[in-house]
Formats: sequence, structure tokens, C-alpha cells
Amino acid sequence: MSASSQDNALRSGIAWRVLIYSVLIVTAVIYLAPLFVMLVTSLKSLEEIRMGNMMALPLQITFEPWLKAWGSACLGLDCNGISGYFWNSLKITVPAVAIGTLLGAFNGYVLTKWRFRGHQWVFGMMLFACFIPFQIVLLPMSQVLGWLGLANTTSGLVLVHVVYGLGFTTLFFRNFYEAFPDELIRASVMDGAGFFTIFGRILLPNSGPIIVVTVIWQFTNIWNDFLFGASFASGDTAPITVALNNLVNSSTGVKEYNVHMAAAITAALPTLLVYVVAGRYFVRGLMAGSVKG
Amino acid sequence: MSFLNIENVNKHYFDVEVLKSINIEINKGDFLVLVGPSGCGKSTLLNMIAGLDEISGGDISIDGQSMAGVHPSKRDIAMVFQSYALYPNMSVAKNISFGLEMRKVPKVERDKAVQKVAKMLQMEQLLDRKPSQLSGGQRQRVAMGRALVREPRVFLFDEPLSNLDAKLRVDMRTEIKQLHQRLGATIVYVTHDQIEAMTLATKIAVMNAGIVQQFGSPEEIYDNPVNTFVAGFMGSPSMNLIQAKVCKVEDKLCFEVATADQDRPLLLPIERDQQALVSYLNRNVTLGLRPETITDPGSANRSEGQIHEADLMVKVTEPTGADMFVVTQLGGTEVVARMRSRCGALAGQSCRFAFDVSRNLAFDGDTGDRIQ
Ligand SMILES: Nc1ncnc2c1ncn2[C@@H]1O[C@H](COP(=O)(O)OP(=O)(O)O)[C@@H](O)[C@H]1O
Ligand SMILES: [Mg+2]
Repeated sequence: MSASSQDNALRSGIAWRVLIYSVLIVTAVIYLAPLFVMLVTSLKSLEEIRMGNMMALPLQITFEPWLKAWGSACLGLDCNGISGYFWNSLKITVPAVAIGTLLGAFNGYVLTKWRFRGHQWVFGMMLFACFIPFQIVLLPMSQVLGWLGLANTTSGLVLVHVVYGLGFTTLFFRNFYEAFPDELIRASVMDGAGFFTIFGRILLPNSGPIIVVTVIWQFTNIWNDFLFGASFASGDTAPITVALNNLVNSSTGVKEYNVHMAAAITAALPTLLVYVVAGRYFVRGLMAGSVKG
Repeated sequence: MSFLNIENVNKHYFDVEVLKSINIEINKGDFLVLVGPSGCGKSTLLNMIAGLDEISGGDISIDGQSMAGVHPSKRDIAMVFQSYALYPNMSVAKNISFGLEMRKVPKVERDKAVQKVAKMLQMEQLLDRKPSQLSGGQRQRVAMGRALVREPRVFLFDEPLSNLDAKLRVDMRTEIKQLHQRLGATIVYVTHDQIEAMTLATKIAVMNAGIVQQFGSPEEIYDNPVNTFVAGFMGSPSMNLIQAKVCKVEDKLCFEVATADQDRPLLLPIERDQQALVSYLNRNVTLGLRPETITDPGSANRSEGQIHEADLMVKVTEPTGADMFVVTQLGGTEVVARMRSRCGALAGQSCRFAFDVSRNLAFDGDTGDRIQ
């Protein structure tokens, strides 16, 4: 009896597993289908695309569209591809992420380990910043950028992203440092370490997981940003998201789908790369604090 | 001239008073243990000595110099924390030398000092490891090494052994005691474990609810507790505190204690603090009997004590191997006696108890203060 019931349990276990895997596979296919279409389209020639089937693999693989998208596609009148804008985005994103993360860490440090009167209020207001929609800050921000003489510059966009991201980065680090043992700070005070030494030598080196989380979060948000880019940077200083939009909208005559797809994938690559490299830590970091170690 | 002087120190967080006029003085080389139940303010006091917490009132001075306004790192004090507080990103060697580095000691000297401490604590092979690769006992050792390497004027320990398992705790206790004797260091040590306090201290301050209940040598605290709190807190098993009445039988002062047999109360002659107890005639007091002062007649110390014997019902016996704790009913509560393991006491039967009445203590029934 027990043998047969075990057999039953085994079989229903397998059935269950088959069901779960089918659901997972179907979901994955649905999610991956657009990416697949983009990829195959970018590797086809225009004639082949006109032949019809979107899902079909390319009969003849060509990298022409990729080269064109990168180096010679026309955005309006200027036919130098998206490469310049790709570098623009890097020049905006890397400093903005670095500065935003560092400032967030610093805020978190002060808000948890050097509490002052009214620290809850300051933190509350910074939290509030997380809930302000992009659109609301557009006008005041452009005004401020104008006053600072940073309108239409890369540094201007860096500033915008740092300020807008500060609420989030502070939130991340504050919650992480909240669980960071006070005794470690006290020990370093007794050891003679000062305010900045404690931050640089004790706190930051032990913030790996939350730094990864913050960097991924900031990087994806800033890299993918369109609104700020479109509003505060134009022409040569535009980020790649804006350039992509211009490319798709400005092609005269035939729509070069293959070039568009290649450009879109190029624009998405850095965020993909960040996820692949740091994704494991992202999950771990999100769970940090729940387990002490 | 005392070395560490805590004078009238107060501490309050907003309107909550955590410490009330603390007065403690110890000499150079003393091992002061602050002992008391959780939440009584021991850590707060220790942190104020370290300078990590502000003092609300009073003053702390070390070697005649007031510590008011002196930064923690300038007090020449080292502290061992309850969680060890080792820097997770640094190797053991780095952990130990960090304080020296902050004090700008040259690298060569730092390395020498680390080697010396590692040798003293027998952890030379651990120097390259990270704290996460160490066992609890090893972390404890590193935390002590970090304090030792600075050769400070005063060591502070905040419940350093409370995270270790029982066996290791006893070993480390011995080690700390040896270290104290070898270095002649001045130590302030916080614990809630009265056994740790008794074994380590040269001076004990028993604290409760933000007040130092009693300050003195371990012997004073054990033999002459000033109130029922100290009497009950120190000692294991703890002192029996039972209700008794002071009465006069044939011109002699006695404690009258109710037994399981209502008609025959136990009468224990009063042999100490008689003068003070005269005024308590016919009043209720709390009688304090240490378990080791109640024995079987065969092991009673007749040369030093004054023995009074009585037959009482045994409720429970608890053999520990070396001794047997025999529980009987006195004054409405259970009373523990410490007998030899082969004294023959059996639960539910009558047994002869020997009371050393010269060591009986009496406390005021209302205030709990010692009557002496
Ligand atoms: N930052 C603080 N704010 C308010 N109350 C505190 C603070 N720190 C400690 N206390 C209170 O002070 C009392 C003593 O705490 P503590 O010194 O840690 O006790 P112990 O070390 O004896 O267990 C406790 O009742 C605690 O709640
Ligand atoms: Mg404590």
C-alpha cells in the first residue's frame, strides 16, 4: 500500500513539475519574442524583411544594418549614426551614477550614525522626492539649469539625474546602514577614526551589496531616461534614447527596420550588461538586512 | 588617591532617568565588575566612562584628570564590545592594528605590536583571516587583542562572554582573570552573570534600576549584602529569603519561621545583629539563609558556626553529583539546603537539617534593607 501511494505521490509530483515548467516556458517565450524579432530583423537585409515573415530566421546574415546604425545612419540631416549619442549617454550616466551613489551613501551614513535633531524630517522629505513625478520638475529644473548656465550641457543632465536620484539612493543606503551595527562605529571612534575615515574605511567597504543595488537602479533609470534627455539636451548633447527616437522618426523615404532594430539593441546593451554582470548581487542585495552575516 | 573616580554621575534620556547619582571609586589595577539585571544601566555607565555617551550630571575622572569634554579616543581607554565589533572587511591583523594606525604609529612598530599581542593570545596563525572565518571564541580573542595592543590606562568590557557557549565562557573567564593578574591592568567589566562577577572582580558594584545598590569587595557583597536585592541577586543557588517573626523565647531572641507543620514553627536563635533586632520584637522581617548554611548534621561546620538542628519535611531532592540540593518548605516558600550527596534525604520524608545561625541575615520586612 505504502509503495503504491508513494508511486502516486511521485507521479503527481512529476505532473506538477511538467505544469510549472510549461507555464514558465510559455511565459519566457512571450517575454523573449520581441527581443527575438528585433535580433533577427537586425540581421536581415531590407529585401528579406519585405518578403514577410517576421519570425523567420535570416536566410543570409548581414551585419550591414549594425554598422550603419552605429556609424552612418541619418538622424535628420546629420548622417553619423548613433555612436556619438551612445558616448553622450555614457558621459551622462557614469558620473551621475557615481556621484548619486556616493552622495546617497553619505546621506545614509549621516542619517543613521550621526543622528541630529529632526533627522526623521530630513529623511521624510528626501523620501518624498521619490514620489515626485518627472513632469513636475521639468519647468523649475530648466529654470535652474538656465541660471547655472548648464542648459543643453552634459554636466547639466548629470546634475539633473543626481538630484532626481538622490531620494532613492538615500533611501537605499539609509535602510542598509540602519541595520549596520552601531557597535562597529563606536569601536572605530574609540580607535580614533574620524568622521570621514569611518565612512571611507569602515562603512563603504562593507556596503558592497547595497552599492550594487543602487548602481543597477541608477544606471538603468538614467540610461533609459528619455524625458529629461529630450527636455534638457538637444542636438549634439542628446543621450542615445533621444537619438534613437530621432533616427526612427527622421528616416526619409523607406523605413530601414533592420537599422532601427540594430540601433535599439545597441541602446539596450549597457543595461543588459549591467544586469548580467551584477544581477546576482542585485537579488542578494535586496535581501540583505533580512539575514545578518 | 583613586585611579578611576565616578562622582555623582547622572544620566537621563529626555525625561527618563537611566542612572541616578552613581558613586564609584577604584584604584589602579582593580578589576571592577558592574553587575545587575538587563536594562539597569550598566552599558550606559560603561559608555559614559568611554566617552561614547554624554554625561547628564556629575563627573568621571581618570588618574585625577576630569574626562569632561575629552574625546573617546583621547582618554587612553580601550573597549571590548559585546558583539566584538570586528571590522568585517579587515583581516585580523588589520583589525588589531587599526587603532594604532589611526594614532599614526609607524608601520614597523605596528607590526611588532600585533605580533606581540598575537603571541600573548596564541592566535598567530589567525592573523591573515577575515572575522567571518573565525569561530566565536576566536573572534572574542581578536576583540581582546585589539584592546590589548593599545596598552591603555583602562580596559572596558561590555558583557564580553555572553555570546559564547558555556564551556568556552568558563575558559575565557579564566583567561581574562590571568590576563588581569599578569598585566596588572585596570578593568571595568559589565556582566549580568553574578558568577562571572564573583570570580573576576576585586570590586563589585551591584546595580538595579539605575542605582548602585552596593559597592564593595566580592566577599563583602556576598557575606554582607545591604538589602534583599543584592542578597537575592548574588549567589547560586540564590539566597533563601523567607518571612520570619522576631520573638523572645526564654529571654532569648529568636526568628520564628512557619513550617509545613502549622503547630510547630521553627525557632532559630538570633546570634548576630541582636541589638538592631531588639527593636523588631514581634514584627515581621525577611530572613536570609544561604543554601550552604543549611546542611545535613554530619557536614555542619561546628568549629566556626553555631549549629541549630531541626527535623523538617523534604519536598524535593536535586542531586548535582558533588552535592545534593534539598528543598523544604519554610515561611511559606521553598527553601534550598545544600547537603552532601549521600546524606540520605528522601522526598516526602522527614530529614534532619543543620542551620548555621551565625550566618543568618535579617532584612526589614517593608524596605528590604539589611538590619544590622
Ligand atoms: N538611546 C536611548 N534612548 C532612550 N533610552 C535608552 C537609550 N539607551 C538606553 N536606554 C535605556 O537605558 C536603560 C539602560 O540601558 P543599558 O545601559 O543598555 O542597560 P544594561 O546594559 O544594564 O542592560 C534601559 O532601560 C534602556 O531602555
Ligand atoms: Mg548592556
